[in-house]
Amino acid sequence: MKYIIFGLFTIFTVKLSAQQKQFSKSDNGKFIYYQVVDSQLVDKNILLQRARSFVDLAYKKSMKLESSTDSSVLAKGNMVIDKTILVAGHPSGEISYNLVFEVRQGKYRFWLTDMLFIPYQRDRYGNFVPATTIGVPLERTPGKLGAGAWKDILNSTYNKVEKFGDEFKKYLATNRMEKIKNKAETISTKKW
Amino acid sequence: MKKFLTAIFAMASTTCALAQETTSSPLEISGSVDTYFKYDFAKNPLNSKTSFVTDHNSVSLGMIDIALKKKTGKASFVGELSFGPRGQSQSIPDAAAGGSSFNIQNLYVNYDFTDEFSMTAGYMGTFIGYEVISPVGNFNYSTSYLFTNGPFQNAGIKATYKFSDKASLMAGLFNDWNVYSATRGVSAIGGQLMVAPVEGWTAYINALSGAGFGGYGTIVDLTTAYQITEKFKLALNAANYDIKDNAVPGSYAGAALYPQYAVSDAVTLGLRGEYFKFKAAGAVPETAFTAVTLTANIKSGGLTFIPEVRLDHNKDKPFFNKSGAAAPNGGQFSLAAVYAF
Repeated sequence: MKYIIFGLFTIFTVKLSAQQKQFSKSDNGKFIYYQVVDSQLVDKNILLQRARSFVDLAYKKSMKLESSTDSSVLAKGNMVIDKTILVAGHPSGEISYNLVFEVRQGKYRFWLTDMLFIPYQRDRYGNFVPATTIGVPLERTPGKLGAGAWKDILNSTYNKVEKFGDEFKKYLATNRMEKIKNKAETISTKKW
Repeated sequence: MKKFLTAIFAMASTTCALAQETTSSPLEISGSVDTYFKYDFAKNPLNSKTSFVTDHNSVSLGMIDIALKKKTGKASFVGELSFGPRGQSQSIPDAAAGGSSFNIQNLYVNYDFTDEFSMTAGYMGTFIGYEVISPVGNFNYSTSYLFTNGPFQNAGIKATYKFSDKASLMAGLFNDWNVYSATRGVSAIGGQLMVAPVEGWTAYINALSGAGFGGYGTIVDLTTAYQITEKFKLALNAANYDIKDNAVPGSYAGAALYPQYAVSDAVTLGLRGEYFKFKAAGAVPETAFTAVTLTANIKSGGLTFIPEVRLDHNKDKPFFNKSGAAAPNGGQFSLAAVYAF
């Protein structure tokens, strides 16, 4: 029984710590997830190429390249936000966003902003689909009745965006060609 | 309690373990619970001529609905069961006769052959019409005549091809309406064309021909909704059903308009105006209903309060007044609470 109580306590603690994270606001009052990354080991052009590849290949189903220069990438995307009930859950909505990536020799920065929330509802077949096509800015102040639900949406969004940011940084730090080469290596049992 | 919690943790660890080994999505659990109070202005429960919300002056149950969904690679399933009056005897197929069992809302498997082409087989919510059994899927708590008299669910196999985000086509073979297993074989053919001409506007043109209510018949249906602004949405449902045998009553035609306006983040007001007629069949004459329903949706998290006033009219006097005499008008007030999770 004490293990169960300990398990529940751990889940509760993790949930509390997750709630403490929140978005900063940009100059124009919008929520922003902003990161500057020191990247001395990778050339500027390779970082730019990897950023484009991230949009065009890794996230091709949920992102679209808007524009690209020799030092920046601008893309639009969306991500699904989940509603979790202890161990399982379902999608509660999606967030559309703008991703801006800028690179200089030795470092790069990126930020996600202009985030809009589109709630999902369950359709007649039991699938979760967008309830509307018009998104609500994440910065809006909800009424008293919807404040709790909105707080959950902000928390879920932050966690998802943070995870996305980590994946983006990892992608930019990884040499895909080397990774593919390593993956293709086979082990022969014919020789010792 | 201990066993229950242990089972949940075991399920959690199994789900996590599976997720690490495959490309499967987590198990989705969702559902709803609803309850209502209704007061018929003539104090007569028989004045309800449409599905659900039947009891007068009673705090009554809707249903508890539980849905599971999982996707592994290209294959997925949905299983959805409901218990309670709305999900049992009032939803037609009752697994054990007598209204004491449950109703399967959805039970099907799906396979995405490509991003555009998929096939689905099993028992599914019908593709006909605007309203559904689940109170979470409807704006109004009471239901329309079009919903009540059309199919609720169809068992069958269907193929869907998505041309783009703006158009898709579905075609399928189905059993007769609302049955878990066919009573007249796989005897109906159905199709659905979806078009989304502009952002926010979606239209479904549906047809189902074969075994259905009253024998063999054909239903043609238009269901469309347009989110015109952030606050205003307009939907329309129109349908025509013809039973092959002209002497069998049950053929109908009708249309319902659904304007909805969000007055705040939490409160949306909506109106349903409906015209519906049963066509003449043999010695049974044509009879027509008009109904106006004013509904509010007041949301707080997963909970939605639905106060509603409904007025029905039929010149052939199918309703009853307070003294029990036949009357051309019926009216009711209801307050429902629906929790979705």
